[in-house]
Amino acid sequence: MANVLFAGVGGQGVVTASDLLAHAALRAGWNVKKAETHGMAQRGGSVVTHVRVSPDQPVHSPLIPHGCADYLIALELLEGVRTLWMLAPGGQVIADARRIPPITVTSGAATYPDGLEDQLRSRGRVLPATEEATRMGDARAANALLLGALGRDLGLPEDAWQSAFAAVLNPKALDLNWRTFLKGASGR
Amino acid sequence: MSEQPQPMLLSGNEAVALGAWQAGCSLAAAYPGTPSSEILPALIRWAERHGGDIYCEWSVNEKVALEVASGASIAGARTLAAMKHVGLNVAADPFFTLAYTGVEGGLLVISADDPGLHSSQNEQDNRIYARHAGIPMLEPADSQEACDFARLAFELSERFDVPVLLRLTTRVSHSRTPVVAGLERAEREVTGATPNPQKYVMVPAHAKTRHEVLQRSLARVARWGDEAPVNRVDDGVGDVAFIASGLAYCLLREVLPEAPVLKLGMTYPLPGSLIGGFVERFARVVVVEELEPFLFEQIRALGHAVDRLPAELQLGELTPDRLVHGLRQIGIEPTGLSPAPDEALGPPAGLPARPPVLCPGCAHRAVFAVLRKLKVFVTGDIGCYTLATLEPLAALHTCLDMGAGISQAHGISRATGGKQKAVAVIGDSTFTHMGMPALLNAIYNGGDFVTLILDNRSTAMTGGQDHPGTGTTLRGESSRALDFARLAEAMGAEMVMQVPVSDPKAIEAGLRQALNHRGPAVVIASGLCPLRYRVRTTPYAIDREKCTLCRRCLALGCPALGLSVDSGLKWPVIDAALCNGCGLCAQECLLGAISLADANGGDAV
Ligand code: SF4
Ligand code: SF4
Repeated sequence: MANVLFAGVGGQGVVTASDLLAHAALRAGWNVKKAETHGMAQRGGSVVTHVRVSPDQPVHSPLIPHGCADYLIALELLEGVRTLWMLAPGGQVIADARRIPPITVTSGAATYPDGLEDQLRSRGRVLPATEEATRMGDARAANALLLGALGRDLGLPEDAWQSAFAAVLNPKALDLNWRTFLKGASGR
Repeated sequence: MSEQPQPMLLSGNEAVALGAWQAGCSLAAAYPGTPSSEILPALIRWAERHGGDIYCEWSVNEKVALEVASGASIAGARTLAAMKHVGLNVAADPFFTLAYTGVEGGLLVISADDPGLHSSQNEQDNRIYARHAGIPMLEPADSQEACDFARLAFELSERFDVPVLLRLTTRVSHSRTPVVAGLERAEREVTGATPNPQKYVMVPAHAKTRHEVLQRSLARVARWGDEAPVNRVDDGVGDVAFIASGLAYCLLREVLPEAPVLKLGMTYPLPGSLIGGFVERFARVVVVEELEPFLFEQIRALGHAVDRLPAELQLGELTPDRLVHGLRQIGIEPTGLSPAPDEALGPPAGLPARPPVLCPGCAHRAVFAVLRKLKVFVTGDIGCYTLATLEPLAALHTCLDMGAGISQAHGISRATGGKQKAVAVIGDSTFTHMGMPALLNAIYNGGDFVTLILDNRSTAMTGGQDHPGTGTTLRGESSRALDFARLAEAMGAEMVMQVPVSDPKAIEAGLRQALNHRGPAVVIASGLCPLRYRVRTTPYAIDREKCTLCRRCLALGCPALGLSVDSGLKWPVIDAALCNGCGLCAQECLLGAISLADANGGDAV
């Protein structure tokens, strides 16, 4: 069983990123359950989704228990550190080196903390995903790079991912996202 | 035999829609509300992809939706009404009496509850409605059951001549789990309504008889539940056993995979013999449920000394961790999780919070910036604009239920003998839902306050659905658009004004004038929801030559505005990727430091 927690900011595509993983697992014939956040939080608030996949064990609950996430996919640094406590001992962070200051910071009431990247790096990898995706054509493909890195660890076959991308994404965005995924999977 | 269909990964809402589609449901009505909003759009998609004639509508509110569905049922159609949990409060009036009238075509009422208040004003447990009204209830635990139970609900409804409540929760509606289901639809002929006053005219004489009929039906449903596969026993090991339903069942299976469990799919009426037989077999039986002790109290009332989780777990959503914690407190050690979740874990303190905010360019921002400046008491309502209660706008002071703001402003003005004049803000969709009777009441009773209708042509918070003000229906057909100004005039409002949200000065002038007017005044602030209508214009930028770091712009709480440190100073900056080009911050700046990005070569980052 692999528990994969996605964390980010409403509007960043957290739900779509986790959909891609869930669909890839389904297409590989794995057991899968996924819990999403909708509604209020989607207006720029903290958003998390839970995905639980397993090639052999049954998945009963869609929710990951506290401290039991095997992977934390952080689309933003602050949200990554906010959910780091959900990670199991030995769990892996895969994070985008992206900062999105929350309204409490932009309004001047609080400051965006220093050292978030180091905290995340001590539990895994922080990748320049947005930067890379921007270079490749569109910042919005950043999440695919993180999924590529996850895909390498998880052992889901590549054709399952490919068919999930085709099923979930807008045809116009497909090519770039797939190339970004492969880039992430190549680990370079 | 056709071959086994491939599993689909569906949300609970999509799965319910699939079950209803399979069952030949031909009319569905709803008012959008998280977590139920996707059910009708999903139903339309199933029909588009796989055929079938289904009429779907956004009704103006849940009561109307359920009444429309009841008409369809009388005409012989299989039909459903969908709503969020608080929507059933609105629809409670027809809900209770429909239990007496029963149905012709199967009638499914869907309530999507929100334990943990992910996006709601309360976390009421609507299972209690089933018992209160005497309406059988099914509680799916995942998407497969959501599909199967929806289909089953229509059969039950017709077989026992009573509506059926399908009770979902956020974690069922918004989880995606595999569903194996055939894509065949049982199309049904709708024969039309024929008079049957004893059944459908609920005058006291008829209603008394129908109440007795209902009691007999419920006893039959309970006996059906003793045998039907909708309730089942998972055999296990040990002499401690459990009774659970819905999400609580899934969590329990995970935490105690070996334990014997009676899994109830139908949680009202309860299958008494099945429960009795199960309880007898074990030394100890614990009821595991989310929110109210609904099953626990009923099973106790049947005379069984069952146990339950500690009462504090009644508040909030049941999660694997809270279940583990609760079980430990009653002396049961969970065996299924490794590592066992650590109760002491939680989010770290001291990180800056990230509350939700109005979108960049949101039409509501200008209005609340003006309201904050006017320092009036603002009675609010349900919608995106509830977010204006948070800093830095902090200009909304109540939020109770759909339509309440107008009546609260009226109450405030009456109680203070007209000394305090509040401003009631209400969105366009919420106004059509329940604001209309509230405004009529206030005008009729000489209310002295200002109603401010925020008309962004969208039911924005739930995903931008249409409503009578947009002039477009759920199916995308054009219809008549409600004219808010003429409606307010017809209700008797003496002062009715329309102001564009792009002009904060006009909003302020209009509001001042309305506040000075004696008697009910209605101000309609219009501007499209940029998220729904994908409004995107040239971004603005800040010219550092002119900026004096006063931070007036930042006080608008626009997520596109932030601070950037440069040569030891904290400069306000606009993130060009986020800015929607509404120009509000430019109007707020007293020094003209903000203008269109390409015009001033400023600091667009
Ligand atoms: S969805 Fe529309 S109404 Fe809601 S906050 Fe965003 S822009 Fe404003
Ligand atoms: S113009 Fe100003 S207020 Fe409007 S979206 Fe851009 S930064 Fe925000």
